[in-house]
Amino acid sequence: MMRKVLLAAVASATMMLPFVGQAAEKLVLYTSQPNQDAQTTVDAFKAAYPDIEVDWVRDGTTKLMAKLGAEIAAGDPRPDVLLIADTVTLEGMKQQGQLQAYKSPEAKAYEPALYDADGYYYSTKLITTGIVYNTGVSRKPTSWKDLADPALKNQIVMPSPLYSGAALIHLSTLTENPDLGWDYYQALADNKARAQGGNGGTFKAVASGEKPYGVVVDFLALRGKADGSPVDFVFPSEGVTYVTEPVAILKTAKNVDVAHKFVDFVLSDKGQKLVLDMGYIPARNDMDLPAGFPARKDIKLMAFDPAVSLKNAEANKKKFAEMFGAE
Amino acid sequence: MQAVGRWLAASDRHVGGNRFSDRLLPLLFVPVIFISVLPMLRLAAEGLFVQGMPSLDYLRDVMQSSQTWRATAHSLYTAALGTAISVLIGGAFAFLVALTDIRAKAALVFCFMIPMMIPPQITALAWVQLTGPSSALLNAIGMAPALGSPQPLYSAEGIALLLGIQHASIVFLTLRANLRLLPREQVEAARLAGARGGRLWWQVILPLTSPGLIAGTAMAFVTALGNFGIQAMLGIPGNYITLPTLIYRKLSSFGPAALGEVSVLAMLIGVIAVLGVLLHHHLLGKRDYRLMGVVGRPLDIRLGARRVIVEIALWAVLIAILVVPLMALVATSLVPAFGVRLGIDNFSFDAFYQVLFVQPATIRAFHNSLILSVGAAIVLVGICLPLAYVIVRRPTRLTKLVNLLVEIPYALPGVVLAIACILLFIRIPVLDISLYGTLAIIFVAYLARFLIIALRPVMNSFMQLDPALEEAAQACGAGLARRLRDILLPLAAPAAAAGALLVFLTAFNELTVSALLWSAGNETLGVLIFNLDDSGDSVLASAVAVLVVGVVIALMTGFQLASRHLPKGVIPWQS
Repeated sequence: MMRKVLLAAVASATMMLPFVGQAAEKLVLYTSQPNQDAQTTVDAFKAAYPDIEVDWVRDGTTKLMAKLGAEIAAGDPRPDVLLIADTVTLEGMKQQGQLQAYKSPEAKAYEPALYDADGYYYSTKLITTGIVYNTGVSRKPTSWKDLADPALKNQIVMPSPLYSGAALIHLSTLTENPDLGWDYYQALADNKARAQGGNGGTFKAVASGEKPYGVVVDFLALRGKADGSPVDFVFPSEGVTYVTEPVAILKTAKNVDVAHKFVDFVLSDKGQKLVLDMGYIPARNDMDLPAGFPARKDIKLMAFDPAVSLKNAEANKKKFAEMFGAE
Repeated sequence: MQAVGRWLAASDRHVGGNRFSDRLLPLLFVPVIFISVLPMLRLAAEGLFVQGMPSLDYLRDVMQSSQTWRATAHSLYTAALGTAISVLIGGAFAFLVALTDIRAKAALVFCFMIPMMIPPQITALAWVQLTGPSSALLNAIGMAPALGSPQPLYSAEGIALLLGIQHASIVFLTLRANLRLLPREQVEAARLAGARGGRLWWQVILPLTSPGLIAGTAMAFVTALGNFGIQAMLGIPGNYITLPTLIYRKLSSFGPAALGEVSVLAMLIGVIAVLGVLLHHHLLGKRDYRLMGVVGRPLDIRLGARRVIVEIALWAVLIAILVVPLMALVATSLVPAFGVRLGIDNFSFDAFYQVLFVQPATIRAFHNSLILSVGAAIVLVGICLPLAYVIVRRPTRLTKLVNLLVEIPYALPGVVLAIACILLFIRIPVLDISLYGTLAIIFVAYLARFLIIALRPVMNSFMQLDPALEEAAQACGAGLARRLRDILLPLAAPAAAAGALLVFLTAFNELTVSALLWSAGNETLGVLIFNLDDSGDSVLASAVAVLVVGVVIALMTGFQLASRHLPKGVIPWQS
């Protein structure tokens, strides 16, 4: 009996021994895109470069950063390329010397605000944050200020900058805006807006009617609406805040040439067409917008600087936590 | 610390020592130290070193933050209240099912096991949907709260309620293993001596079953302490921070200090878990209710006219803890889009089609999870049988320490255990191989996490065995190997099998440990569910979860049907 148990243990352990040896050309990608989008991106890249093998891991930015943090602490970071939610995280990594620069020839088709001047990271798409509401309500909001109306007390939910990178950028953008500033956040706090958790939870709360008004990223709301969820999305009149899902190469990348190819690919016409097909706003200037979005010229982006946001991040979080009594 | 030291030094008494075998016993701890203790030490190092130099900076930062202590107080409160609820529900079920003459016991117990198999995140989601404004059920009876009204579950008591429900089966199982050994003769003797009703329960049955009850309570407490799913789903929106959610938040603000602070918070959880276990040992140490070890006929207390009331109450609890979340889960998997109310005309099986036939990851994940959970169950039984024997019969400082340490990987939030495993196994010193990026690292993490689940039932059954049996065999010249084979193993086998089955069922849809450890091709079912839900595909996530619960129920049914060919006690839920 004991021998059988041991045999089985040994057998199962041997089965799981690491594979030794690597393909000639390989890329290790960590991305926070939703599952299906990540698969689509990888498939398209492999179709363009059939000889390159891609190992990819998809997870939320938080988890991915925890995983990468542990890898770095253990002295063996695995990924060559990161394709994750926001420039502030990458700006932080750049300043800690964890990234390497690459001047992509594709950059000329992009607004200078959308990539790092030294070539450390490039935005690949625009994910804007606007207002979502449950279609069961009678008042339809049109501007950020509408959420400050005391009539909406207890009705608002939004992602917390303590948990979500996009929400921190949102906070940073709005509080830097002279017309809104911290007064606006105070008004939201007075309205008892619930600011806990991330975008997914916010969308669920609005779609299920638990909180009829919310602040959420565009694609969650617009996809949900297209699928039939009882929600609608508003691009507020003051403009939208945005994150850009930037791509960057790690300093420790083992496959630098392939990493360059990948960066060029996601920034190319073809790569940006994928972004469009997935239902996001491509970062490249000359691209159309997906169905359900207004024309590019009608989407007003609010001014945002990743370096400033990074510098104020801790102070902003602290002030926010005090104001909302958040822990 | 002094108290711990004194306690460790307390007793080195041996029960029937055998010098040769005793010298070999510490070897048993080698695998345990490798899979369970080393990762914890490596993680602790992360908190006690800053850039390679020993430093108390992280420790000071974390210990000086008022937030840490608020989170600790919240964790203690929710875990304690949750445990009380678990003990109430699980204990009542175990006693009534094991000792009274209620009907349909097999069905009751079978159903009672299932809530543990539904991932906590899903349970929380189901309850929030059930009690929220869009609740199909409450809307149907016109009692749904208005849009935007506060959700009562987003509170300390809400968290405790769901923790209590989720872990009730743990108390049930541990206690039941104990009740199984309760000899009818002893209770009948008490009855003959005039004990009746309450007195019989308080003075005979409860003391006799207290080891199981205390063990179950300790286990439920430790589980509740480390549960991340419920605390995150209810605590984060409710602005009620506990240690696991505080850790999660530290990790969200990525920076060089994140891992260090997480490590310190993990140590804090570890300390609380160890204190809980010490209390458990302290309570157990005062009692010695060893039973003969021969399973007598089960008790059969007649409830008479109250039987129907008890049966109705039990089934009502089952409907609340099983049917409700299961219905919500199935409903979410069938809607065309999140938030749409499910009706007779709009349901869709598209999500099932997607996960089963379009995305190859589902089948791969089923395959991986099956290998991992079966492997973990087999290996853990192999480790636990001798380990439990040594801990129970050869209490030395080392055994006591190991007995405490194996509790910690189970009490930590899964994410933290995963980080510890990455740090240690990304490049194993000396051997210079890496487990990271393979199924092996998930396997090792599972061994560390579920060791305690397999160990406790076996320890319990060794504790109940009267050492007289073994001493008699020894007096006749039987060596340790012979005693193990002929006396101890046959008596402990049911508990070991029950533990293995429990490990298998828990590991099969484990969510948070594998979430950080997976890599391309190595998805587990938990990873799949987590990732789908996390990227906004809650409907697909629910579909996978429905499939998982379906498979688990099918497997349990299989075991149930096979049970007549298996020794009594192997199937943990069987009457």
